[in-house]
Amino acid sequence: MRFPRISGILAWGYALLLVIPFYYLVISSFKQNDDIFTHPLNLPSTWDPGNYGEAIGSADLVPAVANSVIVTGLALLLTLLLAVPAAFALSRSTGRAGRVVEATFSLGFLIPTFAALFPTFLLAAFTGLFHTRTFLVFLLPATAMPLAVVILTQFMRTIPRELEEAASMDGASTLTILRHVHLPICVPGIATVVLLCFLSFWNEYLYSLIIIGPDPAQRTIQVALPTLQLTTGTDYGVLMAGTVFTLIPVFAVYALTQRQMQRALVSGAVKG
Amino acid sequence: MSELLSRRSLLTAGGAAAALMSLSGCGAVQALRPAAGGKNTLVVHSQFNGAVAGADVFRAVVEQYRTSTGRQVATLSNGSDLPIVFETSVLAGKEADITIVNMVGKTLAWTAEDATIPVENLLAEWGLADRIEPGAIQEWTTGDGHLRAFPYTRTNWPVAFNTRLLEQAGVEVPLTSQDLIEAADALRGKGIGPVTIGGGDWSGQKLFIQIIQSFLTADEAERVFATGVFSESPGALAGIQHFADLRDAGVFVDSAQGFTSDSMLTQYNTGQAAIMSSMSSALAKVPAERAAETTIGGWPVPPGAVSTKPTVIQSFNGMGVWISENGAGKLDLVEPFVRWLFSDEVVSQFITRSGRDMSAVTDVTSTDFPLVAQAQALAAGDTVDPVILPDLLIPEAVFEPLTQATAQAFGPGTGPDQIVDVLEASYKNA
Repeated sequence: MRFPRISGILAWGYALLLVIPFYYLVISSFKQNDDIFTHPLNLPSTWDPGNYGEAIGSADLVPAVANSVIVTGLALLLTLLLAVPAAFALSRSTGRAGRVVEATFSLGFLIPTFAALFPTFLLAAFTGLFHTRTFLVFLLPATAMPLAVVILTQFMRTIPRELEEAASMDGASTLTILRHVHLPICVPGIATVVLLCFLSFWNEYLYSLIIIGPDPAQRTIQVALPTLQLTTGTDYGVLMAGTVFTLIPVFAVYALTQRQMQRALVSGAVKG
Repeated sequence: MSELLSRRSLLTAGGAAAALMSLSGCGAVQALRPAAGGKNTLVVHSQFNGAVAGADVFRAVVEQYRTSTGRQVATLSNGSDLPIVFETSVLAGKEADITIVNMVGKTLAWTAEDATIPVENLLAEWGLADRIEPGAIQEWTTGDGHLRAFPYTRTNWPVAFNTRLLEQAGVEVPLTSQDLIEAADALRGKGIGPVTIGGGDWSGQKLFIQIIQSFLTADEAERVFATGVFSESPGALAGIQHFADLRDAGVFVDSAQGFTSDSMLTQYNTGQAAIMSSMSSALAKVPAERAAETTIGGWPVPPGAVSTKPTVIQSFNGMGVWISENGAGKLDLVEPFVRWLFSDEVVSQFITRSGRDMSAVTDVTSTDFPLVAQAQALAAGDTVDPVILPDLLIPEAVFEPLTQATAQAFGPGTGPDQIVDVLEASYKNA
């Protein structure tokens, strides 16, 4: 009986450790610098949303969020369109070629981000897509394919072949089997890929900075937000407000997908 | 049921994203349209954006220019990452026509590398020779006589003294090192921090350099900061010894080596510390209540120093207006815009509405930013000795290691010999 009580206390303590930074972030977004530094954990004396207005206005955060949504949304869509059929084929493959292709996808994990920057820049300049969102929409799925294909392939391998054979006997085509048999069962796995890729695409900074460039009408949130940080006298209340504003979509996506992701993890544990 | 809900949620999210995308695609979201290029549009890439002082003024003056001339101006922006973005744009041949950025680090190489054009010939041709301070022209000119860009903003770096707190401690504004040590002692006795400084970042680095310059002639200072050989300069050694003496006498606030420029400003603005060495752009952020009890001066004179008066860092190294190779092909669009930026009307707006120090010749001062105005008057008078801001001399790769070295110097127990070692190591290892 003592162990569960101790573990419960530890779990709540750990949860508190995770909540405190979030609490600090939110309350600081309503304060001025002096208050943030002198009374860091106190509640603000007033809940004036002025910092939010200042952050959104001076860093053009609304178009930046819209650009992040466009780039991330389209890149996610493209990732799924490419990764799901690839994973389906690889999970059903029994030959040597399938193993080689799967291993090739895994090799993508070995390419460092910085090593790919200059060739990617040259490609963007060569294709005429430098300083456009479009190039990033094509680039991001390429960076996510190894993770997406590996996760989805493993997930699809757990689906019994008998289901596929039964559907085939009923006259279902390969595409129909993918659409009506595999996809419904794979929703937790897809949600996992969506969440992981979303976090990766949304938080991407280096390529967005270099490739999309300095146009406030095109730049993403990760490029816009640092303009609130100054070498002389950063207004941390405004910076925190901008950060909270940009985190809202992240929380929304997490809330939408986390249950399916948990299901994917739990189903893996039961099967294991 | 939960699966249905999740699927519905996903469809809703996807639908919302698609709706937003289609809105932007059909042009309904005006703000998401890329800035126009082409031969009739002037493209300006600047650091006047975000929370930078003057960003709102810049937006306003560009809009005034558009309205009054009917010309097209596309504005692009970055913060401290502007140089790397501009350089990749140059490689792709898609750089802006004008870029407004500091002369430091990467930008020092731009004129020699043909990323931007020298503008000394345009200076007289466009009638700007008399509009810009001669000192600024000199500072922005390369060793082989080329003017890198049109200097626009500048830096003035005095010392702010809270007279109410000094009075509370029973002391006056210190003019000598001995006065400063006595003032620090009295302030500590009243529970007030003496000199606040971001010992862990660039603000500490600048104060350290300012203090040791009291013992260096201008030529010796240039040599020391360019080469990083401190141990062979008697002036530098005397300055470092003096810095250590001040530190050990408790002149700086406790744990100064762990603070940043932001904590420095906060300590001063909240009345926890009485003295700070501050850029004029930071002085613009001192609240009115604290500004009313602040007087602006220089860093106190040490015994046996080269300087005979308190020192102030003065530099024209702020933002400049650079013209790119693309801009060189559109000088008919560039010229009127640059002349507009240097007009009395625009320069006055930057001074009065954002408290910027300008390199343009002007007699306008700001009543809304009284400490900046005091600093300008101090710099123009003869009660202080100017010392250099050695950013143009320190190699780019040394900047960060040098800041780490000076952070160690602010730490108690680091002797003068150790300070010399870490300073020289920061140059050698960079």
